Amino acid sequence: MTAAGGMPGAVDRRAAELFDERRNANYRRTSRIFALLMAGQWVFAIAVAILFSPYGWEGKQKAVHAHVWIAIFLGGTLSSLPIYLTLTQPTSALTRNVVAVAQMLWSAVLIHLSGGRIETHFHVFGSLAFLAFYRDWKLLLPATVVVAADHLARQMFWPESVYGIVNPEWWRFIEHAFWVVFEDTVLIAACLLAVDEMRTTTRAQAEVELLSDSERAKSRALNHALDELRTSQEQLVRAEKLAAVGQLAASVGHELRNPLAAVRNASTYIGKRLRESNNGEPRVRQFLDIMDRELDGCAKIITDLLDFARERPIQARPCPLASLAAEAIALVPASRTAIEIDMPSDLPVPSLDRDQFRQVLINLVQNAVEAVDGREDGRVVVRASRLDGHWQLTVSDNGPGVDAEAARHVFEPLYTTKAKGTGLGLAIVSAAVRRHGGAIRLDSSSGGATFVVEWPDAAAGSPM
Amino acid sequence: MVLPVVVVLWLLACVGGLAALWRYKATPAPDGSPPARWPESSAVARDGGQATLVMLVHPRCACSRASLHELNEVMNRVRGVTATILFVQPDGTDETWVRGESWERAHEIPNARVLVDRGGQEARRFRVVASGHTLLYDAAGALVFSGGITGARGHEGDNAGRQRLLAAIRGDGAGSSHVFGCALADER
Repeated sequence: MTAAGGMPGAVDRRAAELFDERRNANYRRTSRIFALLMAGQWVFAIAVAILFSPYGWEGKQKAVHAHVWIAIFLGGTLSSLPIYLTLTQPTSALTRNVVAVAQMLWSAVLIHLSGGRIETHFHVFGSLAFLAFYRDWKLLLPATVVVAADHLARQMFWPESVYGIVNPEWWRFIEHAFWVVFEDTVLIAACLLAVDEMRTTTRAQAEVELLSDSERAKSRALNHALDELRTSQEQLVRAEKLAAVGQLAASVGHELRNPLAAVRNASTYIGKRLRESNNGEPRVRQFLDIMDRELDGCAKIITDLLDFARERPIQARPCPLASLAAEAIALVPASRTAIEIDMPSDLPVPSLDRDQFRQVLINLVQNAVEAVDGREDGRVVVRASRLDGHWQLTVSDNGPGVDAEAARHVFEPLYTTKAKGTGLGLAIVSAAVRRHGGAIRLDSSSGGATFVVEWPDAAAGSPM
Repeated sequence: MVLPVVVVLWLLACVGGLAALWRYKATPAPDGSPPARWPESSAVARDGGQATLVMLVHPRCACSRASLHELNEVMNRVRGVTATILFVQPDGTDETWVRGESWERAHEIPNARVLVDRGGQEARRFRVVASGHTLLYDAAGALVFSGGITGARGHEGDNAGRQRLLAAIRGDGAGSSHVFGCALADER
């Protein structure tokens, strides 16, 4: 009950909705009953008229009895509007009031048609009870007014038709009124009790519903938390595995570094001697170039592995971003690609680890250049800005962009979409940015790719 | 705006219809002009020494069932009165014309003779034109009551006509009332 008790407004609103729904359902159900009752009374009146007084006579001449015509036309008139309203506007207050008046007028008609039989007067009491099905005590008022008007008119002009005697005692009206009021009182009490019970049950239902909603919300939150925990655990396990592999790779790389340097020296020496001998063999020169290129590649792999595995703490110092970007661009081979630096001249100077951030820029620009390689209009832009104590550095290209699947894994170590990539470049960038307390993300939603690096203003810089 | 107008018109139509029904039921038939003395030409035997009650009935008039009901009430309350119920059989009809519910009901009334008035001769002698018309002649043959004994067409229950008839039987004076019933003979 805590959730429901904590939202009394919501419970009240829901209880009011449920109460209206249930009350209208009862109105519709009762209106259907009265539609049938009105039609049934009409048919019954016609049947009674035809059965007991089919003809009026003048000697041998007969004519349809006035009762039959009255049953057809007065009965039809009396039932038509309530039937129409109960079918088209079953929940309307006007419908209920028309039904109440029509039902009591039916009592008067049936009393007439039955020849004033005292038994037919019970139709009045039955009709009041039927009207109470609506659980709307106010309906008993117009119904009682109709009964009272009928009694008053009869008492004035034809007392024996209602009291059964010609000269009723003066208190006969009080006696009749007492029984009608008595039934009204009982029915009003029943209506009020029924409505009160309906309010109680709808409120209880609203509380149960809202409690269930609250429990479902808690369950959803718990499931979400469990999912996040499961994902974190998986990431942790993967990170641990990667760390172990990284450490192993770094050790291997470190051990390979010296032999590789020896091989490179030897290769350089042999190449130099062969070129000096100038033996004119073109394949020898070609193979020497291949050896140099592949040795460079091996050296880069080892360097990347060591950079990735090395958790060197940052050594922050003022570092102008524009000059750092220019330095990085100069180190990236870009045959035909236009590389642009778009930074405001009054951009303050952030405090960064220069070597690490230069590596960040080199890797990002290198990736961007490779993405637009071969395009005549290939273009790479490096931008930087500072806003509200946060720095933002972006490297954009107008290449083919990154698909959603690749974007999810692009910062993971050893993940690459390149034929000869190590899968370490962006992992190194991500690690360096994290060490500066920042974050990196990829935006590839509007064509091309934009890597966005953001980090907090750890040390206030000065204008360049 | 249309619906409230329709409701008001409907209510007026219903009240008007009820008023028409009431008017129909409360509209009496012609009173006739029964003779002040027992008609000597009547074939109905009058009991010497006591009052004689005559009721003329159209055998197929639905309203007259109420008249027979009221006559039954009267005859169950009084002593020293003989009732004669004349079922009018128009010319050109046989006796099956008079057989029916009213005929059966009439035979259940105590101290009552049920006769067929062939051709409506007795009705003419008593100068009565409406079914349910009841006449009471005292022991001396004087008319002491003439009229209907129902309060309206086909309406059972206490009414002024029945009370006046009972008063006349008791010797509390002559009386009359309106008759509510079908015409005993067609005007043609």
